[in-house]
Formats: sequence, C-alpha cells, structure tokens
Amino acid sequence: MTESISANAGEDGGLPSTDEAALERLKRFGGGKLLGEMITLYLEAAPERLRAARTGLETSDIKATEMALHALKSSSAQLGAMRMQRLCERGEALARSGTLENVAGLVSSLEEEFPRVQDWLERARRPEVA
Amino acid sequence: MNTVAVVEDNADNRLLLQAILDGLYEVVEYENGVDALAGLAAQLPDLVLLDISLPGMDGNEILARIRADDQLRRLPVIALTAHAMAGDREKYLSAGFNDYITKPIVDESLLLSAMEKWIAAGRDGKI
Repeated sequence: MTESISANAGEDGGLPSTDEAALERLKRFGGGKLLGEMITLYLEAAPERLRAARTGLETSDIKATEMALHALKSSSAQLGAMRMQRLCERGEALARSGTLENVAGLVSSLEEEFPRVQDWLERARRPEVA
Repeated sequence: MNTVAVVEDNADNRLLLQAILDGLYEVVEYENGVDALAGLAAQLPDLVLLDISLPGMDGNEILARIRADDQLRRLPVIALTAHAMAGDREKYLSAGFNDYITKPIVDESLLLSAMEKWIAAGRDGKI
C-alpha cells in the first residue's frame, strides 16, 4: 500500500479506501449505464450530505447529523467507498448514542477523503481512459 | 407481472432497485411515508420494500400504520436497512416486517428470493 499516512491512518488500520468489486457488482445489476448513473447521483448527493452533517454539527442537531451520515454511509457502501463508509458508520454510531463529541473529526476526515473517492469514481465512469 | 412498491428517499437506492427489479416486477416508487400510504391504498401492490431511515415518518411508523389498516394489513413488507446492528433482524421481524434485507445490496438473489417467498405467502393468504 503506497498511500501516504494521514492524520487518522491509525484509526483506519490501513484498510483499503475503495473496492472495485462494488463497481463490478453495479455493472452486473445494470451494466455501464447503471454504474454511470449511480456515480453521477453519488457525486451530486455526497457533497450535500457532507454539508448537512457539517451543518448538523454546527447547530448541535444530533438527528440531522445522524441522518446525513447514515445516508452517506449507505450510498458509499453501495459504490465501494469503503473508507467513507467506515467513517460515516463511526460518526453515525456516536450520534445515535446521543453525542456529537468526536464526530467533527470524522466529518473532517470524510471531507478529506471525498476528493479521492471522486477521482476514483470519475475514472470508473470513463472506462476507456483506464 | 407482480407489482412492488418501493418506499425509499434516496434516488441512488431507487435507481439500483429499479435496475435489479427491471423486467421482473412492475415497480411503483414512493419517496416518503405520506405518499406511500396514500398510494398503497389507491393501488395495492403485491409486496412493499420499505426503507427504515426516511425523513419525517420513518419505516417503522409506516409499517405500524400498514398493520393497523384493514385494507393494507396483509401486505407483505420487507424492511430495507443500512443499520445492520446485532439483533436488528429479530427487532424488525417482531415489529411486523415479514423479512429484512440489509443495504448495501451485494447478493441480489437474497432480495429476489425473499420477495418471491413473501409474494407467494401473501397470495396464499398466509400473512
């Protein structure tokens, strides 16, 4: 694994960021067309959900933060954005337990991770370039 | 062709289910509980796929209303959830869901076989 070590690499134990198998699965469900549409929807919705999580934190709205992280977890998992899925899962679990303490760090990690996932998905959407 | 109602607020999940069910079922989509309850009563499907985490009325509340309604109570309803905590399955089944499928959908055959099983049970009056 050649990826540089980020501030929270210790928490993530060097687990992979993304999973190609998820993309292959989507192709099996509905071909390149479904994969492309799913990627487009994800790239539209993920920044909105990150913003909603951030706003939830700023306004101490536990439920809104939890809902935003839950939705982002679900779509990240389906598209193979595994590190995002794990970060969301931890944040969602904290929010569900009634605290937003330590969630801000996870949301910052998500904001850092998203551009990498975006690059990866944009490449997957244009298979001829790969 | 049997009709399946999908109650799901996220467009990506609706698109995915539409792709998996394409050609197998007639799919009717609802984005929230209010629309779903009105729509189900107007056009009774053969089965409902119900997301749990919905804004406003969540899946548990929608299910409770379905089970309390004379016209809807015998509908087969499968919970779709990304929560997947230990003990969830029992919790959803005891709440009155007929089955429970976790997201992300990895093996579509699990979903499709659960749907077939519960559509048959509904048709045979076993719900």
